[in-house]
Formats: sequence, C-alpha cells, structure tokens
Amino acid sequence: MIERLFVAGLSHRTAPIAVREQLVVDEDKLREILADLTGRGTCAEVMILSTCNRVEVYGVAEVAGEARGAAFRQMGAHRGIGLSTLEPLLYSMDGAEAVHHAFRVASSLDSMVLGEPQILGQVKDAFALAQSCRTVGPVLHSLMSQAFAVAKRVRSDTEVGRHAVSVSFAAVELARKIFDGLDGRSVLLVGAGEMGELAARHFQDQGMLPLFVANRTAGRAQALARDLAGTAVPFEELASVMGQVDIVITSTAAREIIVTAAEVARVLPGRRGRPLFFIDISVPRNVDPAVNDLENVFVYDVDDLRSVVEANLRERKRQAQQAESLVEREVTKFADRLRSLEVVPTIVSLREKLEEIRRAELGRTLARLPGADEVTRQALEALSQGIVNKILHAPTVKLRDSSKAGHGHRWMEVISELFGLGKSRGGPAA
Amino acid sequence: MNAVVFDIALTAYIVAAAAALASLVWRRDGLSRLARELTVGGWLCHTAAIVLRGVELRRAPVLTLAEAVSLVIWLAVLLDLWVERRYGVTTFNAFILPVVLALGLGLPTGLRDLALEPRTSSAWILVHVALVLVGLSALVLNFGSAIMYLLQERQLKARRPGTFYYRMPSLETLDRLTLMTLTAAFPFLTVGLALGFVRAGRAWGRDLVGDPLALFSLVMWLVYAATLFGRVIGHWRGRRAAYFSVAGFCVLLATLGAGVLFQGRHGS
Repeated sequence: MIERLFVAGLSHRTAPIAVREQLVVDEDKLREILADLTGRGTCAEVMILSTCNRVEVYGVAEVAGEARGAAFRQMGAHRGIGLSTLEPLLYSMDGAEAVHHAFRVASSLDSMVLGEPQILGQVKDAFALAQSCRTVGPVLHSLMSQAFAVAKRVRSDTEVGRHAVSVSFAAVELARKIFDGLDGRSVLLVGAGEMGELAARHFQDQGMLPLFVANRTAGRAQALARDLAGTAVPFEELASVMGQVDIVITSTAAREIIVTAAEVARVLPGRRGRPLFFIDISVPRNVDPAVNDLENVFVYDVDDLRSVVEANLRERKRQAQQAESLVEREVTKFADRLRSLEVVPTIVSLREKLEEIRRAELGRTLARLPGADEVTRQALEALSQGIVNKILHAPTVKLRDSSKAGHGHRWMEVISELFGLGKSRGGPAA
Repeated sequence: MNAVVFDIALTAYIVAAAAALASLVWRRDGLSRLARELTVGGWLCHTAAIVLRGVELRRAPVLTLAEAVSLVIWLAVLLDLWVERRYGVTTFNAFILPVVLALGLGLPTGLRDLALEPRTSSAWILVHVALVLVGLSALVLNFGSAIMYLLQERQLKARRPGTFYYRMPSLETLDRLTLMTLTAAFPFLTVGLALGFVRAGRAWGRDLVGDPLALFSLVMWLVYAATLFGRVIGHWRGRRAAYFSVAGFCVLLATLGAGVLFQGRHGS
C-alpha cells in the first residue's frame, strides 16, 4: 500500500517562477486531469496541489513514473510546454519519503517563507477538489488527514509560525514587547501612506482604541479617519496628541523631519513615564533618530523593522529543527499504521472463510440431530466458534507482527495460498 | 542530616539555573520545563532541610546569618514560582536562581560561623529577623526583574533583536513587577529594621553606632526608600527606577558582606 504511494512535482526550490506560472491551470482543467488519470487506470488515487510556489501530484499507482509523466504532460500541454522541458525540474518520491514530503509541505516547512500559514489551506483545497472528483481513496484520505493533524501540531507545539515576517506585523509584535497588552492603547497615524494605514489596521485588529489621524491636508485626514473609524486631528496639534497616545505611526511624503527630539522631550513630563513607541514607515524618515535616545521612547524606522523581520526568519529556522524531528516521528508512526492496515483485508477474508466453513458444518450437523434441544445447539455453536477463534489467533498475530517488521506481503501470500483465499480483497485496484 | 538535604536542594537549584539560562539562550520549551520542575524539587528539599535543622537543633532555625540567608533563598524561590505562575513570566527563574545561588554558595564560607547566642534570642529578635528576611527575599525578586528590564530595554533601544528578545516579557510587565516587589518588600524591611534598631538601641546603647550590619542596613534602607519615593512622587519608571533597584541590591550584598567581615555586636 505505502509502497505505491508517490508524490511528483516541482516547487520554488527546483523551478523558476517563469516555469511555475506556466503550470497554473484553472479548477476545471484540474478536474479533467484528475478524472483522466484515474479513468485510464494510471492512478488508483490522485490529487493535485497547485499553488504559485509548487505544483505537485500525490497519488497511488503501480508505476509512479507513468502517472507522473501523464499528469505533467497534460498540465504542460495547456500552455504548450513539453514534458521534456519539465522533466529535469521534477522531483519524485515514494513510500515513506512521499509521506515525509506531504507532512513537511502541509506543515509549511518546505515553504518559501518558512511557517507561512496559507499552504495548509491550499493543501486542504486540493484535497477537497480531489474528493469532489472522487479520486481520493483510503490511502490519500488517511495520508491527508494525518498531514493536517501534523501541521496543526507543528503550529501549536513549535514556534515555526510565530514571530512576524512582515514589516507591519513586526511593528505590532514590537509593541507587545513594550506594552503590557495592546487592548485600550491609543494610536496616532500621521500621513496617509499606504503602509502606515496597513500598520494602523493591524493595530486596530488587536483591539486597540482610539485611533487619531493627522494629515497636512485636513480633508485627507477626515476621509482616512472615516475609513478607519478614527478621529481626525489638526496637523498643528500633533505635539499635544503625541502627549496622550501610546503609539505613533508616521507615513508621510514629507521630505523633512516632522517629529523632533525637542518636541517629544517637551511632552514626556506629562506622560509620567508611560512608554511612547514611534513607528516611522516613511522614507525619508519623519522622526528624528535622536528621539530614540529619550527615556521610555522607542523609535523604529523601516530598516529597523526589516532587520527585526530578518531576525524573526532566522528564529523560525532555528525552531524548524524541532518541527522537523516532530514530522519525522509522525512519518514513522504513519508508515507503521499504513503497513498494519494492508494486512487487514487478508485477516478479514481469512476470518470470513473460516466462518463460512463453520456455519456450513454446523448446519449439516444440526440437520442430523433433529431432536437436539436448545442447550445442545448452543454448546455446538460455542464449540465451533471456539475452534475458529483458536485457529485464527496465530495467523492474525503473525500477520500483524510481520507487517510491522515490513514483510507483511510475504505472509499475506503464504496465508492466502494455504487457506485458498484467492486474491486478497480490499487492496487498491491494480 | 539537614546539611545533606540542603546540599541536595542547592544542587537542584544549580542544575535548574543552568537549564533556565540555557532555555533562555536556545529557546527550548523542554529546558524551561525541566528548570521549573527542578526548582520545585529543590524547593521541597530545601523546606525539608530547614525543618530538619529545627528539629535536630531543637530551636528556631533562623538565628545564624547562614540560616537567615538560607531562609531568604527559600522565600525568594517560593515567590519566584508564584510570580511565574501568576504573571506567566516563564523566564523569571533564569534571573532569580543565579542570585539565589550566589547567596547560597556563600553559606559554607564565612556565613556559617556567625550566630546569635541562642540565649539572646527573644520573641523580639525573632520578629525582627523574620520581617527583615521577608523583605530581603522580595528584594531578590526586585533585583531580578530590574535586571530583566534593563536587558530588554537595551535590546529594544538597540533595535536589533538579541538572544533574550524572544523569551522576555514586555517592558511594562517587568516595570510593574519591579514596582510590585519593591512595594511588597519595603514595609517588611522598614518595620523589621525599626524593631531591630529600637531593641538594639536599648540593649547595646552607643555600640549600635559602631555595628557595621546596622550601619549598612540603614544605607540600604535609604537607597530603597529613595527608589520608592522617586517612583511614587517623581513618577520614575523604566530605566531610572531599575538602576536604583540594582544599586539597592548592591548595598544589600555589601550589608551581608559586612555582617560576615566585621561581626560587631550582631555577632556576639
């Protein structure tokens, strides 16, 4: 079972964007390809994950190479890219390695931005699409539900997804390092720059109120204040508002410094030591760097925020080691479970076979004993069942143990042969 | 027997301190859990050691300076565990345990010889000692949180996340913790010291002026009083308040040192 599982594809690691963008196909085309792959019997089960950073085929097939060729020939054909162009960019894995890859992708350990949360949703969508096309069978089903569970654990148990990797989220995170909770903190947004607005919105999402907006043009300030459900304040009153708020975001097109150290120093005594956090997203800078030297005042410009983001990415990489070992443990567990599942059909048919014999023989015996009372019947029933269970015990244990040890196939064949079970049922159609 | 159990407790504290510092540097949750479990284990052993000592000596185990320091440690660790639980500051023990150890490892040296005569022990002295000890242990936490504040503030001002950045609580939390521990310590310290001065003034007369432990205690009290005054009246927050807390703790250590070096009337 697990041996026939494969994954084949290309990603940001192997293929340039110029190739990846050519492989983007719409949902209808994907449905067509999925139906074709299973319809022709190339794959027993299949799903296709197609995002801007990766295109991958997950499936169960007798000959994985054939399935991989067929899938990518069809996806490339859409934009006229031959399989020979794609082949050198493709990677493929099967068995436990494919499981490992699926778990890493879903957990965002293979993502361009390590730990980004979107990929899990994309994998779920791809799985749902394949399910709606009825190309998902027991193997992909258990693989993907386990992949989702592993991704969830990686998210909750490690810090791979923590620590902001965008400039505006880094600003929110820094504020959390300064303030004891962000609820009820007030924000002053100076200027109507797009980045500033985005940062202000991020802060609002944290439950912060109220928001003040100042702009050189009063009309712009009012419009933006309406948009953000804030209050417009006159540009001339900047200094006095600065004395009250906790966070100041500057994002203007001004060519010079708007907030000087002397101005900030003047409002500090009235703040009674409450920290003041400046986020200066404008270039050239609007806040005098010397403001950072004042007590309980912190100034971060765009470069500072970027260096925080870089440090956060490095931190995610450190934490990824823990996530990788978690994934590896889960792969082993999953492979063991899949292997133990593959002997189940043999055990079931062996049981059915013996049960069939028991019933037949019991029926014949009872027919020869017309005068038998209920007690005798029940005794015979129990006797025959006991014999069947005793006989079943040893082969069942043997099958389970051997599947764990990785040579379940050999014993499945031996037992089928010995008991005349014929072709074991329940396995994927070959 | 109590010495053996005490050494076990001290060993647990040492390993816990190492694990706590390592978890801060390498950001591993497993290490920080280990540190907490060892701290709890060490504290339980420490409790047993104190009780055993009381039983073995058939007197309250607070009469020697060594016993007093041991009790300060015991209380400080208890408070540290409480703060970690109450405020979710999981990295607190990385800063408290090293201080506790610096005190604890000083015990076998000069501190063990210094003792009050059991016959001079009155209820007054026991109350004096107990109050001062509670105050001192809260000041250990005050020092720890002030150091944490200064480190975190430095990193935020430098605008480059350093080693400690990821596991430290917010500046405001740390500042609040510094203020809280100081406000908790101060009444105990004040009443405890006042009792000591009144009592010693009656018993020793002019000798009180020459007692180094008493003199240093007075300086220490003045530094902490100034810090608290600055915080409440002058609205000091953050760095300045933290520097004063550190200065106060330096005088506190000097006071203990003075108690060991020049024994004065406290030793006789």
